[in-house]
Amino acid sequence: MSGAAAKSILADTVLFCRALRESGIAVTPAEAVAAVRALRLIDLDDRQETFLSLRSVLTSGVEDFPIFAELFEEFWSRPGQGGRPSAKTERESRSGINLRVPPRSQEPAPRGLAFFLENWAPPTSGDSEQINTPAASNIESTAEKDFDRFGSDELEEIARVARRLVKKLASRPSRRWKPVRRGSRVNLRRSLRASLRTGGELVELSFKKRKHKKTRLVVICDVSGSMDLYSRLLIQFAYALQNSAAQVETFVFSTSLKRISGHLKNKAYERALESLGETRGWSGGTLIGPSLAAFNSGWPALVDKRTIVIISSDGWDTGETEELAAALAILKRRAGRLIWLNPLLGSPGYQPLTRGMQTALPFIDVFAPVHNLQSLRSLERHLLL
Amino acid sequence: MREEVRQIQELIEQQAYVTDAAVATSLYLAMALGKPLLIEGPAGVGKTEIAKVLAGALGTQLIRLQCYEGLDATTALYEWNYPKQLLHIRLQEATQGSAAEKEASIFSEPYLLKRPLLKAITDPERSPVLLIDEVDRSDEEFEAFLLEVLSDFQVTIPEIGSIAATHRPHVVLTSNRSRELSDALRRRCLYLWIEYPSFEKELQIVRRKVPAIGEALSSELTQVIQAARSLSLSKVPGVAETLDWAASLVALNATHLDAAVVTETMGCFLKDEEDLRKFEREAGSRLDEILSHR
Repeated sequence: MSGAAAKSILADTVLFCRALRESGIAVTPAEAVAAVRALRLIDLDDRQETFLSLRSVLTSGVEDFPIFAELFEEFWSRPGQGGRPSAKTERESRSGINLRVPPRSQEPAPRGLAFFLENWAPPTSGDSEQINTPAASNIESTAEKDFDRFGSDELEEIARVARRLVKKLASRPSRRWKPVRRGSRVNLRRSLRASLRTGGELVELSFKKRKHKKTRLVVICDVSGSMDLYSRLLIQFAYALQNSAAQVETFVFSTSLKRISGHLKNKAYERALESLGETRGWSGGTLIGPSLAAFNSGWPALVDKRTIVIISSDGWDTGETEELAAALAILKRRAGRLIWLNPLLGSPGYQPLTRGMQTALPFIDVFAPVHNLQSLRSLERHLLL
Repeated sequence: MREEVRQIQELIEQQAYVTDAAVATSLYLAMALGKPLLIEGPAGVGKTEIAKVLAGALGTQLIRLQCYEGLDATTALYEWNYPKQLLHIRLQEATQGSAAEKEASIFSEPYLLKRPLLKAITDPERSPVLLIDEVDRSDEEFEAFLLEVLSDFQVTIPEIGSIAATHRPHVVLTSNRSRELSDALRRRCLYLWIEYPSFEKELQIVRRKVPAIGEALSSELTQVIQAARSLSLSKVPGVAETLDWAASLVALNATHLDAAVVTETMGCFLKDEEDLRKFEREAGSRLDEILSHR
């Protein structure tokens, strides 16, 4: 290879990497170096081979493939040159000054529910009316009620957030040890005790490893009319949590309480929804107090100090506030942490002024919004008990 | 196409693995640049197989590290052989020598249990293939540790010192994307994505791996599998399932597919009750249509 040709490959590769960075593929300098090395190793006249090589070196996820293919097409080929790299220099080098590298995770997929949820916010106008008329909160809610309109891609994103969370919850090492047959640390006390049986001779060693801290989750979801838009999101989230091998119990309520853990577990999402359809009570108002009281009396064993109770509701209670206060006081005393998720908290002008919310506020440890995927992600830090 | 890439493709094909240019190019570059190769794709498309085939083609040892939750350095790297050390201490009790000497002797290589990562960098003869399978199932802490080993292929054991790789292994990592891998690890690796095979490729695989299968049956079976994959099942049948089914049909002396045969044997490629029902409902009635598609 002539010196000039080598030089042009080097320059072109650097420019190409810049163009990739601008499109959101965070190419590292090390990768750029690898790309140049790779181009010296392959047959540059074979366009497909050049494409496959550079893609292998410069991308690091299948999500990058479409952008890469587009840029490659634009950048490395001119008809009649046999596919030899020939960069369009001017424009790229000019725009290449801006080296801002947007992290991939912050880029919303430009479609689907995930995108919708990331960007969704309640309309700023008409906020006040909405707050005053909970029953008629969403005109389009009948159309939106349709749970199974979500594609598997979008569910996947919610499921990923849930899996991460559950994993965090399940894999935190405790300070305590437990004996195991094989492990990293020798359990000296046990080994010596066992050696007494063989006359003080250490024959077999026993081992120990750290226990995992176990946190249980109880999710209590308001599925009344005013929560329509969000309960779908939350039920999906609960569904994903439930199927991520954690100790999660899920309940829904509107006028009465239903345990739905079993319905969500080990089923295809559509089937889970079918069975949920039978249990959902969409009609009537919301009785938060009686529902929580029913939870307290019906499933007292589910809540202890290692349990995090998550209640998601907008606080529109048609029941008595005294009952709500009493039920929350009991829950607060039993649970390790009480989290109240309110979707309305995501909208800028919202004040928790409803009677139900005012009653609840003194009892809850964490009051957080839950209106999009980002809020689900930030839930993580509240769950480490 | 570069001669080396063609050679690799040929070598792989000799191992009865149906491949394409993307796989061959990535493998060639991974070896030439000395970088690990990260392979992603849905379950059952033959990601793990690539490492096995590579080892077979190069005639080297395949060292496999299966990742799981809670996998730690002692299981992946090395461990001291405690019982052997204890035995040695007792045997040495009567002998002369200082305590320091005795200690040095029990913390030496003969008392070291090599786990896959250490084994992979101490192969005396030639570069082995190190397969780190399902790396997404390991914890984030382990991933960080892995990154350290993969960047300089050197391991430090406090009692002995540093052990550097005699021959750098060819590293293949696979992931089913159950967890997002860290950017640092991704950026360190070459990347290869494998999709479910196309009809033509899958047909070729079936005929290569189950030679006893007839022309007609193999193409019918591949059509049904391809149709099943489009149904959005909870456990999409992979290539392994296709081959299982093909082998079963051959064992049953089937020459053609019909509704009865499919119903009897669909347990070979559908492993979930919901999926079975869904398949019956949505594809069972259209079987003729599916089979006459091509």
